[in-house]
Amino acid sequence: MKKWNMSALACVVGLTALLTGCGSDKAATGGNAAAGSGQQSGTEQAQPVQIDFWYALGGKNGELIESMVKEFNDTHKDIVVKPAYQGDYYQNHAKVLAAISAGNQPDVTMVEVGSIGAFAEAKALEDLQPYAADTIDRYIPGLLGNSYWKDKLYAIPFNRSTPLLYLNRDMLKAAGLDPNGPKSWEELHEYAQKLTKSEGGKTSVYGFSTPIDIWFYEALVIESGGSILSEDGKQLAINSEAGKAPLEFWTNMIKEGVMKAPPGEKYNAWDVAKQDFVNQKVGMIFTSTGDLKGLSESAKFDVGAAFMPANKEYGAPTGGANLVILAKSPDAEKKAAWEFVKWMTDTPQSIKWSTQTGYMPVTKEAVESEEMKKYYETAPNFEVAVKQLEYAKARPMVPAYKEVQEIIMTELQRAVLNQATADEALQNAVDKSNKLLK
Amino acid sequence: MQKAVVANSANAPLLQQEVAVKAGRLTKVRPYLYVLPALLFFSAFFFIPILYIIYLSVFDWSLLNLEEMEWVGWQNYADLLSDADFHQVLLNTMLFTVATVVLGIGLSFLLALWLNQKRKLVAVVQASVFSPHIISLVSVSMLWMWLMDPQYGLLNALLEFIGLPAYTWLADTKSALLSLVLVSVWKVVGYNTIVFIAGLQSIPKDLYEAAALDRSTRWQTLRRITIPMLSPTLFFLLITNTISSFQVFDTISIMTQGGPVNSTNMLVYYIYEQGMDYYNGGLASAASVILLGLVGLLTVFHFWTMRKRVHYR
Repeated sequence: MKKWNMSALACVVGLTALLTGCGSDKAATGGNAAAGSGQQSGTEQAQPVQIDFWYALGGKNGELIESMVKEFNDTHKDIVVKPAYQGDYYQNHAKVLAAISAGNQPDVTMVEVGSIGAFAEAKALEDLQPYAADTIDRYIPGLLGNSYWKDKLYAIPFNRSTPLLYLNRDMLKAAGLDPNGPKSWEELHEYAQKLTKSEGGKTSVYGFSTPIDIWFYEALVIESGGSILSEDGKQLAINSEAGKAPLEFWTNMIKEGVMKAPPGEKYNAWDVAKQDFVNQKVGMIFTSTGDLKGLSESAKFDVGAAFMPANKEYGAPTGGANLVILAKSPDAEKKAAWEFVKWMTDTPQSIKWSTQTGYMPVTKEAVESEEMKKYYETAPNFEVAVKQLEYAKARPMVPAYKEVQEIIMTELQRAVLNQATADEALQNAVDKSNKLLK
Repeated sequence: MQKAVVANSANAPLLQQEVAVKAGRLTKVRPYLYVLPALLFFSAFFFIPILYIIYLSVFDWSLLNLEEMEWVGWQNYADLLSDADFHQVLLNTMLFTVATVVLGIGLSFLLALWLNQKRKLVAVVQASVFSPHIISLVSVSMLWMWLMDPQYGLLNALLEFIGLPAYTWLADTKSALLSLVLVSVWKVVGYNTIVFIAGLQSIPKDLYEAAALDRSTRWQTLRRITIPMLSPTLFFLLITNTISSFQVFDTISIMTQGGPVNSTNMLVYYIYEQGMDYYNGGLASAASVILLGLVGLLTVFHFWTMRKRVHYR
C-alpha cells in the first residue's frame, strides 16, 4: 500500500515536472543517460560515467564553477560532469526537493550549510564516511561544523564564508575616520553617524546598511555572547539579552537615520545593499566574504574588509554551501560524484576558488600554502575571513531551522518596521518556533 | 435444400439484427470513445491529482522522504485554520482579489467604452494597452521592482517631480499589497479591454438607433442597453479574473516573496512556501484543498447571483 502511494505520487510529481518545462525534461533524460552508462560501466569501461551537478551561484562565481568543471572533465576521461545553475540557495533547494521525489535528482549539489540537517534527517544524502576516511583530515576543522548530522558525515565544505564588515575606505578617510574600520558596536554606531550625509532633510548617504537577514542576526547574537538555539536544539533562545541587543542596535540606528534597512526580501535586500555600497550611497555594509572579488572589481574606490565588530566579543557564523551526494544516485554515479567532490575541494582548486571569489580556502594545506600567503600580501582583505574563523561558530542546523529562520526574519522585520516592540517580536518568534523545534 | 433456404432466410434477418444490435451498442459507446482522449487528459491532470491531493492532505509528509508518511487525519486543516499567519494569508488573498477584479474590470470597461469608436488614436492606444498582456510577468515584475524602488525608483522620482511625497511601495506592510494590485491591474486591463470591445461590437446597432429615436440619454443607453447586452462578457471576465487573482504567484515570488512581514503572502505562494521551502507537504496539500474549495465556492456564488442578471441572446 505504502509503495503504491509512493509510486503514484512520483507519477504525479513526474508528470507535473514534465509539464512545467523542458528544463526538468532535460534533467530527466540526462538522468536516464547517466543511469544507462552506470549499468554498462561494469562491462564496458570505455563509456564515461555521467553525473549531474547542480549549483547555486550566478555571475562571475558561476562562470568560475563552469570553468572548473570543464577542467575536471578534461582531466578525468572516465567521468563527465554536467553542471547546471539552479538559482539561489532557496531555489536550488526547492528544485533538488522536487527532483528527488520525481526520481531525476542530480548526483552532486550544493546545499546551504543551515539546511544540511533537514536534508540528512530525511535520508536524502549519502553518508560520506566510507568515501572520506583518508581525506577528511585535510579540511579546516572550523569549517566542518555543518558537515556532520547525528555523527555521520554528509557534506564536504566548498564555497564557505563568514559575514564581514565592508568599508568604503575613501569615504572613511574623508570623514577623518580610521580606514581599518570600527572594532566594536559603539564604534560602528559612531562611524555610521559620521558617514551619514543629509541634504535638505533627505539622506543622500547612509553610514551603514545591512539586510535584516538571519545570518547577520546570528553574528550579532554570537557577538553578544548568546546563541540562537538552546543547547539541545529544542528551544529558541533569542528572547534574552543577547537576542534583544542586535535588534535594538539596528532599530536605534534606523530611527536615528544613520542605517538603511534595504527594501526587498531575502537576497533582493542583499543585492540592494551591495548596489548601494558600490554606488557610494552607503559607507559600510555587512555581506559575505564571497562577495569580496565581485565588489572589489565593481567598486571605484578603496574597498576594505574587517571583522564583524564586537559587542561583548568578536563572533560570526560560518556560511555558504557544502557539496553533498544524493543517496538516491546509483552506485557508479556516487563513486564518480565522490571523485568530483574530492577534486573540487582539493588544495589547488580551493586556492583558485578562494583567490578568484573571496570565499575561504577549505583545506589546511591551502591556507598555509606559499601561493595563498603571497596572495594575502597583495590582497589582505581576502585573509580577514580566515582570521575571523577563530571566533566563528557553525550555523544551527536542526531540520526545523529552515522554517524557524524565516520566522525569526519575519519577526525581526516586524520590529524594524515598527509594528512591534523588540520584546513582542522576539517572544512571537519563540512561541512560533518552539512548536516546530520540539 | 428447402431446409437450407429456410435456414438462410431465417438467418439473414437475424444477422441484420445482430449487426443492428452491435451498431446500437457502438452508438452508445461511440460518444464515450470520442471524449475518451479528453477524459484521459482531464483525469491525468485534473481529477486524479484533485483526489490525490485530498488524500495527501491527511498525512504529515515531506517531498524529501516519501517513505515516511504519517497519517494525521484532519490535523493539517486544524493547524492551518488556527494559525494567525494563515488567516493573514486568506485575508490578503481576499483583499487582493476584490481590489484587482473591481479595478481591473472597472478600468477596462471605461477604456473599452472610449476605445470603441473609430478614431485615429484608438489603434495606438489599443495596442499599447494590450501589450502588457503578452509580456512575461516575470520580467515585468523585475521592471516594476525597479520602478517602485523607494529611493531611486522612477515612480517616486515622478511623484517628487509633481510635488508629492515619496511612497514606500513594496518596502512597507501598508503599501506592498496595493503595489502588487497595481501591477496585476496593469497586466490584466489590456486583455479585459479587448474582450469588452469585442462584446461591445457584437451589440446590434439597431438597438442604439431605436434608443436614439426615443431620445434616450447616454446614461440611459448605457444602463438599459450596453450593460445588459454586455452582461455575458462581464460575467466571463468576472469569473476568469477572480480565479486568476486567487492564483497570483509570479509577482509575489519575484517582487516580495510574501513580505514584508507576510503582508503580501497569498494562498498559492503560501502553498509553495510550505511545500517547497519548509518541506511541509501535508500543510501544503491541505492549503491546496482549501484553495480549491474557495475558488469552487466563489464560482458557484457568481453563477448563483448572476443567473438572473446575465442576458444571453
